[in-house]
Amino acid sequence: MRAHEGTARRYAKALFELAHASGEAEAIGRELEQLAAVLAENGGAHAVLTRPWIKPVDRRGVATAIAQKIGARKLVQDFVGLVAERGRANHLPEIIAAYRAMVDADLGRARAQVRTAVAFTDAEKQKLSARLEQALGKRIILEEQVDASLLGGFIAQVGSLILDGSLDGQLARMRQRLARG
Amino acid sequence: MMRVLAIAALLLGAVPSAALANEGGGGLISLDKSLVIQAINFGLLLFILIKLLYKPLLAKMNERTEAIRSSLEEAKAARAEAERERADHAAKLQASLAEAQSIRATALKDAAEEQRRLVDAARAEAARLVEAARSEMAQDVRRARQELRQEVADLATSVAERLIRKSLRDEDHRRIVDDAINRVERVN
Repeated sequence: MRAHEGTARRYAKALFELAHASGEAEAIGRELEQLAAVLAENGGAHAVLTRPWIKPVDRRGVATAIAQKIGARKLVQDFVGLVAERGRANHLPEIIAAYRAMVDADLGRARAQVRTAVAFTDAEKQKLSARLEQALGKRIILEEQVDASLLGGFIAQVGSLILDGSLDGQLARMRQRLARG
Repeated sequence: MMRVLAIAALLLGAVPSAALANEGGGGLISLDKSLVIQAINFGLLLFILIKLLYKPLLAKMNERTEAIRSSLEEAKAARAEAERERADHAAKLQASLAEAQSIRATALKDAAEEQRRLVDAARAEAARLVEAARSEMAQDVRRARQELRQEVADLATSVAERLIRKSLRDEDHRRIVDDAINRVERVN
């Protein structure tokens, strides 16, 4: 898994350096996410890109065609073509995540993955973003995910930092205290 | 020898008296030729007696005396031998008794030592068993307590979770979220 991440980071870094030089880093990031969404929806296309017995040239052609179809710029087309040709298409989610982290770091912002029991209102989103920005000293992009398994409240993760404001966390802590006596 | 002379004197006295009796009066000894004959008679008799009676008798007596002396010496030697053997046996018996006493004392000492060692070992083993049982019991109690606490904690949180899930309304969710947001503090 760590080797996987290392490979993904190397690809992401190469792309980021090119994108940053052209001043299109954020736009390219959006196109990559769009591409990832298309591949996630289209299992057949993803299968073609990841099958080792399909010729590298064919894999490259398919990946480039998909990128063209979603209207991605030339750099993105070439990049996904290269990734598919080298048999690294199954690393694309990690590559995109690493690329996004690099763009965020470059722009001085961080992403907060928030799992919540009920969907946030806009006011709650703004308030949480503001509090997190104040706490971390960075601009925060909130990525909300409703998780019905949670009892109430939310759990936010920013990088390695986890903020547990859920009832589940409180109950877990209460269970630990009771068990410890 | 004295005995023989006494007998001879008696015979010497008896023979003249007998002669006087035959003559019908007179002294005990007649001083005539018969006295010579009587003397010769006497000497002859004395010689015969000495030859045939006294010497064999003396030899026999000496032989018996020697036999008795020899028997006495043998008896004495036998007694001395018996005494020596008795002393020897007594010494051996004493030595055996001393050895037996020594063996008995050693055996008693060894037995006492072995008994003390066994008692000590039994005591140590008993103490070890008691300590192990105590430790195991304490561990069981600790484990049971921990399990009980865990069960109580699981049960309490499970009940609380069910109650919360059942009773939580939208405004409660909003308030919980708001409280949680307000608890976010500066990091570093």
